[in-house]
Amino acid sequence: MTLCEAEKTFVLHGVEENFRIDGREREDYRPMELETDIVSHAFGSARLRLANTDVLVAVKIEVDTPFPERPFEGKLEFFVDCSANATPDFEGRGGEDVAIEISNTLSAAYHSPKVFDLRKLCILKGRKCWKIFVDILLLECGGNLFDAVSLAVKAALWNTQVPLIRQIDIDGNNVELKVSELSDCQRLDVKTAPVMVTVCKIGEHCIVDPNVAEEQCSVGSIVVSVSENKFSTVLQTGTGSLHSSTLLDCLKLGYKVAQRLDDALWSTLSKIQPTEDVGFLK
Amino acid sequence: MAEQYRSLHPIKYYRDYLVHNVRPDGRQFDKFRPVILNVGSIDTADGSAIAKVGRTTIVCGIKAEFCRPKAETPDQGFIVPNLELPPLCSPKFKSGPPSDQAQVLTQIIADIIQHSKCVDPKDLCIFPDKLAWCLFVDFICLDYDGSLVDACIMALMGALRTVTLPSVDYDPSLDNKLVNLEERKHLPIHSTPISATFVIFDDKIILADPTVDEENLCTGIITIVLKGDDLCCIHKPGGSPLTEEELFEYIGKSKKRAPLINNLIEAALENINK
Amino acid sequence: MPIDRKRINGPEETVPYNLYTKLNTKSLLQEFDELFCDGKRADNRAPLEHRKIFLKTGVVSQAKGSAYIELGKTKVIVSVFDPREIPNRTDYSLKGEIYCEFNCTKRRLHQQDAEEKQYSAIMKQALESTVCRHEFPNFQVDIYALVLHNDGSPLSAAITAAGVALSHAGVPMYDLIVSATLGIQHNVKFLDPSNTEQRLCDVSISSDGKEDSHGIIVISMLHTHEQISQFYQVGNISLEDITESVKVLETACKDIVPLVQKHLVKHILKTIKNNEDYVILVSS
Repeated sequence: MTLCEAEKTFVLHGVEENFRIDGREREDYRPMELETDIVSHAFGSARLRLANTDVLVAVKIEVDTPFPERPFEGKLEFFVDCSANATPDFEGRGGEDVAIEISNTLSAAYHSPKVFDLRKLCILKGRKCWKIFVDILLLECGGNLFDAVSLAVKAALWNTQVPLIRQIDIDGNNVELKVSELSDCQRLDVKTAPVMVTVCKIGEHCIVDPNVAEEQCSVGSIVVSVSENKFSTVLQTGTGSLHSSTLLDCLKLGYKVAQRLDDALWSTLSKIQPTEDVGFLK
Repeated sequence: MAEQYRSLHPIKYYRDYLVHNVRPDGRQFDKFRPVILNVGSIDTADGSAIAKVGRTTIVCGIKAEFCRPKAETPDQGFIVPNLELPPLCSPKFKSGPPSDQAQVLTQIIADIIQHSKCVDPKDLCIFPDKLAWCLFVDFICLDYDGSLVDACIMALMGALRTVTLPSVDYDPSLDNKLVNLEERKHLPIHSTPISATFVIFDDKIILADPTVDEENLCTGIITIVLKGDDLCCIHKPGGSPLTEEELFEYIGKSKKRAPLINNLIEAALENINK
Repeated sequence: MPIDRKRINGPEETVPYNLYTKLNTKSLLQEFDELFCDGKRADNRAPLEHRKIFLKTGVVSQAKGSAYIELGKTKVIVSVFDPREIPNRTDYSLKGEIYCEFNCTKRRLHQQDAEEKQYSAIMKQALESTVCRHEFPNFQVDIYALVLHNDGSPLSAAITAAGVALSHAGVPMYDLIVSATLGIQHNVKFLDPSNTEQRLCDVSISSDGKEDSHGIIVISMLHTHEQISQFYQVGNISLEDITESVKVLETACKDIVPLVQKHLVKHILKTIKNNEDYVILVSS
């Protein structure tokens, strides 16, 4: 979709009046739908639909050997797959850059041990650890990918069941693990997992959750990823540059919105919990 | 004007100079470019050197790692040379897997290391059939202006002389290794190969130490590697034929140059040891 | 893994020897105290003191423009090549493109790893807003950065050097671009961190649940317009700390600018002088 100058001016005026083209205010999100536990063969999964943006996240867990330089830590890997159906731009190898950008930003956001402690994934120092693969599938692109992906990833990790280790047999260099059944599992601690918010600068104002049309009107945007009350990563995207005071304004706005978003996500997730426990025939 | 003429008729441009017995950069035919060697400048590597031949710049870094010797040669370690020609050094190269040229040059360097026996693989063995050193010798070209092999071999010798390996206590029954970083030893170097490159222009004129333009326009190229006074390797991939006398003449010329390079390496090492 | 036939391969499995040294029992907190005591850093700098910068242009004879930068032991070389047509492109783009490649000579896999790709993207983003891209539509300028020695802050060194290399190549630009890095750990801000400092800022060292910030911030600034062309942060940092750090980084960038300017003026004077010599030579 490309906009002509007149259309861009229309969007811009809307932002100035705090009445955007779809009727929202500057700090409003579009409605979201969240489903968890929808891929039966995955250890955890979630699907998030934010207006037209549709993201499916599945989590797989494997036993692996830790990196020799970090024997106490497990591994966490993100892989983003852009479906060619998501937007015509993704055809062929078109989605690769976007995919790499998103997966790199996610790794940066989950990098700090205060955000996601990889030490909890260690089974036996230097020998065995859990490796978590987070597969992200972009089904449809309706703008604001970062926010949708981060929410879906957090929900999927929350949903993930890590098997318990029942017994470890060490025989020389061989280590054998006995793992519990899938019905008896432990959940990952994802309270501090980051939530990302894209703050888009249009004209003189900053908005959150831009749709495709608004994304085109902006010269630059800031992706902030907030975990509890700290920033875990901040990334500038787009081709423009910002004055430092604008940058700080964007950060403040992103921070405020991210906390609201995180609260909303957490209350939604806690509502899911009771029904699921029934399913496990406890 | 000269620039346009040079890019439109490069060969004629060169011939115009060569009839006056001088090269476009002002050198005589058998004159080598000035060389610079800087050793031990990268301390994240176990040994390193930067060599410049004219404007050609090569960085050589050596990293030692543990490995298990091959079953057929249980008392030998490994030396793994690799040359990289990144897109940074010349617009000719693109990023991706090594170009044909890089592969050819890597093989030449590997052959020189193997045949000159400057490092004996047996010195790299720690415990037969169990543990040995593997020396990864990486060359990166920063500026590509001809005579790459000369620069590589110079950088290699500089870097090898700075390599220090920590002492290792190895317990074969438990496969336990303990590295003592304080106790570092120099690697024994058995010989110093020195290479000189010449190009043959228009089947008759021979130019020493060619620049990249001369390498592109020449009709033949020859690299002579000497080990002291002995001939170690001659690389002449096709091109204009040479007579026996001509070949001996160039071997003689490289012999004259060898002590100079040798002195340079010694001088560079003295500076670092001070 | 398939065998790489284009390189000489060593034995299948090798391990770095550093893993078998005597066990390092120092805790991260102790390591931190060693790095930073009495308000001085390991290399005797004050926390907000930048390392000395050495700049040189024209180091790669084959490139259109090139620059070499040293920040203490960190050494980066950048070269810029003539604009060329964007390969594999069917549609027309009004603005020229910038292609960046960031490489680290650390011995690792030969392919670019994720970190290098991320740094390439950040570099591209930083430089895009300073190059007058409308001047060369449908063309791309290739910029290659190679880290020869990484002792912290390689990304900002590469961006500053790329700015100098672009001006050396004569690529039209709106403004000079300079970049600086800052690490935060344990309530101390380290401007232009070294590799060990950067490594420590990467992890959280206070175990007692204190609300300490830790992390790394890189910004690139267009000096005259006071614009931030790129901002990148990782770690876990509070809003107040970010606000303070941005101020620190802005002044740091301002301090680097005169150095870059001086260097460019010197370079131009030298070129003019060389040209005059050449003219005299030709006319005589």
